[in-house]
Amino acid sequence: MKRAKPEPTPDNPENAAATRDAEEKRWRRDMLDPALAEQGERQEEFRTQQMHWPVKDLYTPKDLEEIGFDYMEDLGFPGEYPYTRGTNPAGYRQDLWKMLQVTGFGTANDSAERWSKMLEQGLNGFIIEYDLPTTNGYDSDHPLAEGEVARAGTAIDTLADMEQALDLPWDKLQHLNSVCNAPQPVNLAMILAALEKRGVEPASFTLQMSNAILIEYTCVGRYIYPPRHGLRIATDCIEYVIRNHPNWIPISVVSAQLYAARATPVQELAFGFSIAMEYLDATLARGFDVDEVAPYWSFITGLEMDFFEAIAKLRAYRKIWARLMKERYGAKKAESLRLRLMSSPGTTGLTLQQPLNNIARLGIQTLACALGGGAYAITTPLHDEAHALPSEEAVRVGIAVQNIVAHETGVADTVDPLAGSYLVESMTRRMEDEVFAEIAKVDALGGALAAIESGYFQKELARSQRARYSEIEDGTRKQVGVNHLVQPGEKRSIEMFKLGEEAERLQVKQLARVRADRDEDLVTKTLERVREAASGDENLVPPILEAVKAYATQGEICDVMRDVFGVYHPDSLTAGV
Amino acid sequence: MAERKIRVLLAKLGLDSHTVGVTVIAGALRDAGMEVIYTGLRQTPDMVVQAAIQEDADVIGISSLSGAQMQHIPKVLARLREESIDDKLVVVGGVIPDEDAEALQIEGVDKVFTMGARTGDIAVYIREWWEQQGR
Amino acid sequence: MLEEGEDGALTGLRTLLPDAGRAHLLGITGPPGAGKSTLVDRVVSELRRRNKTVGVIAIDPSSPFSGGAILGDRVRMQTHATDTGVFIRSMATRGQLGGLARTSFEATTVLDAMGYDVVLIETVGVGQDEVDVVELAHTTTVVSIPGMGDDIQAIKAGILEVGDCFVVNKADLPGAERVAMQLAAMLHLRESSGENWETPILKVEAEKARGIDQLVDIYEAHRAHLASSGGLVRKAVRRNERVFHELLRERTAAQALHAVEGGGEPVLAALRAGEIDPYTAVDRVLGEEHD
Repeated sequence: MKRAKPEPTPDNPENAAATRDAEEKRWRRDMLDPALAEQGERQEEFRTQQMHWPVKDLYTPKDLEEIGFDYMEDLGFPGEYPYTRGTNPAGYRQDLWKMLQVTGFGTANDSAERWSKMLEQGLNGFIIEYDLPTTNGYDSDHPLAEGEVARAGTAIDTLADMEQALDLPWDKLQHLNSVCNAPQPVNLAMILAALEKRGVEPASFTLQMSNAILIEYTCVGRYIYPPRHGLRIATDCIEYVIRNHPNWIPISVVSAQLYAARATPVQELAFGFSIAMEYLDATLARGFDVDEVAPYWSFITGLEMDFFEAIAKLRAYRKIWARLMKERYGAKKAESLRLRLMSSPGTTGLTLQQPLNNIARLGIQTLACALGGGAYAITTPLHDEAHALPSEEAVRVGIAVQNIVAHETGVADTVDPLAGSYLVESMTRRMEDEVFAEIAKVDALGGALAAIESGYFQKELARSQRARYSEIEDGTRKQVGVNHLVQPGEKRSIEMFKLGEEAERLQVKQLARVRADRDEDLVTKTLERVREAASGDENLVPPILEAVKAYATQGEICDVMRDVFGVYHPDSLTAGV
Repeated sequence: MAERKIRVLLAKLGLDSHTVGVTVIAGALRDAGMEVIYTGLRQTPDMVVQAAIQEDADVIGISSLSGAQMQHIPKVLARLREESIDDKLVVVGGVIPDEDAEALQIEGVDKVFTMGARTGDIAVYIREWWEQQGR
Repeated sequence: MLEEGEDGALTGLRTLLPDAGRAHLLGITGPPGAGKSTLVDRVVSELRRRNKTVGVIAIDPSSPFSGGAILGDRVRMQTHATDTGVFIRSMATRGQLGGLARTSFEATTVLDAMGYDVVLIETVGVGQDEVDVVELAHTTTVVSIPGMGDDIQAIKAGILEVGDCFVVNKADLPGAERVAMQLAAMLHLRESSGENWETPILKVEAEKARGIDQLVDIYEAHRAHLASSGGLVRKAVRRNERVFHELLRERTAAQALHAVEGGGEPVLAALRAGEIDPYTAVDRVLGEEHD
């Protein structure tokens, strides 16, 4: 005799699930299929923008069952392991994220002026970018510096420049992010010396250093020394800051650079975490306990336009870090397991064409940032960044977008509102699984440093770059203004900072003046000490601090290290091309 | 008989280290059957011209994304003229304002491809030039 | 010009041949990841230190799909980019019909005739073509690294036969000694080439330039050995015969195709359409088809 169809009852969940599945079959057969027979779906198949994961037409509780989703194990509560729902128990209900903006250009004076204005306008802090000679360890009068001085950021040759740059309303400044990777110890020393001269207490604000040299070898290209030595230098900075300025952040794993190099979310997280662990291992080897140092590790990420991929990435980001710290390193303190993350709508999703459209994109990505949660700070690029000079209006729009999301949408009024979504949880879990698999691959190569030296990261990124471009060029990936709804005859000229030779001339003059006025013997002595330290394993920061105070130039200090460590020339494989 | 391959030298001048462009273009030109020689970063005009001579490059492609195009590229053109090898095709790609693109083309750059240019267009442009040379 | 095989080029080459023959031809091969480019860079530095002028021919594989290539060996040799005593030429393998041995031979002849003391030919050594290329050199170095394990088998048997010198690079890594011993065992098994040269196995760290001066000493010693033993002449004879055969193959094939209708395209079309098999196709081109 045929069994009767099981009746759903409150105390028989299996029956409920079976009923639901049966109902889904019925829905597909009686509702969906007939509707599609009349008119098919828009596309052959639907896939996420970056990972190309298939996207189903409908997600149901069955999807959670299939991955064995368990609320306590997968999510837990905000502020508790595994932090998927957020690192702060009260989320953005307590404190909104910090609103930051990237700036820095021209001479130190120009920069100080603009930064002061921004602080007056309500920003809590800013990110200092330096010009190419500075980030590559060259003085402004070096042959390679020609045409680049003060262009991509602030020019800093000596302590005198840093003193001018940091002429700011310190009472308003909460957070300063200094992005200077290869010559980080020189940059750190100059900041310390300048603060001392101004009588500013280092403990009165947070300095976050990027110190992200491994990412430079991987995809940015502003490196000086061979990777092993770059890692040693970075570790010296980390050790020095942890021991002497414990409220500062000595390392930023700028996975956002990987993102900018067109890494997929899985690549970004896997390579980024592998790099983070390489720094961690190097620091632990200096005699620290994991719980002493892991709380300092901070991350910066960028987002793409695929809304749910972005949110899944942010949630997975937190969970993976927590699991790595607990399972691999045996970390016990909450501060070690709790990710510090700064996120940003990203420039790779913005277009040169029809720049006003980018304001919509920024809005959507900022929304994703807020919904993904966990970021203690968000920065917004400018909507016309692709072709225009940073205008005050663009800066205002960026700040407004953040405030609209914060105050007009309600998404910041509850913690992790999308938790439990069948789609979002499925995607978060898949992100987590694939990142761990990729980390295992990097482990098999010997870790991040080995992956960089063998060119693995670079080759993988080259592949992603080419895939991304061909998708856009052949139209498989739609971008409004670029290959969809293109405005015929649209011409966008690029505006560029014409700082003119004036800024470079002034900078070179200033440099000559400082050289003329300083005590040459003291410079020689302090540089010799730097050489000694570099040749051994003494921490480089103290001797560099002395050299900086003697007004040795950044180029001179970096040259001493070039002598000792050699200069890095990657081969074509590691160059990634 | 082996057919003639178009040899393209791709260079990055000065401290500009943005490599997404050259990576994508190198792949596209290879896929279009060309032989691409990449110089690496931090090239001076002298190094680029030396490489062009040694490699018998037909095309010199310069990728410029740091904004210093007017600093370096005119020097490359001048050196090419000095070495009497200015019959090579010189193309520039990257972030270049219109007035600089015009100035560069007057100085001798054959074509400037700005952001938004398609890699396919660049390959086609090179091949059309090649065929016009009667090769 | 040389690579395209134009008639003008061949005439030009013939006039250069008398001036050629002075240079020491060094072949360097090994699998990807062995650090060959770094090794070549350091060897060039050491040769320059000894006041030798150097030509480098760096060979990379062409894409089998498009016939194009990305040649990136210059990137590693930045230190020599402005040295007028160093000439770097990047070449692609160009597939079977590319005549790799011939074209690289011609390129070395040109550099030789230009007066370079040493010409280094660097290839990946995973294809038969590349094995042939290094056979053209006076002194062939095979590079491997620790951790290759069973991949030592990846060093083609052909290369083991022609290697005059074996280098274990990245010798600071664990397993270097084991690789050296494996190589020694294999060399023991190979037939004597009759050259009466004790093939050295050298451990180096190219990155730190350790062992490079010894390597260059070995090159000089081998060159002297070849000169005194008649090896230079024997190798030149082998090389000429090899180039002769390759050139003959290329030219007769070209002539045969040229002599038939449409340069052979109709035959190729029929072959591609599956109407005829390769044997019939060749018969047809040569006019030897029997119905």
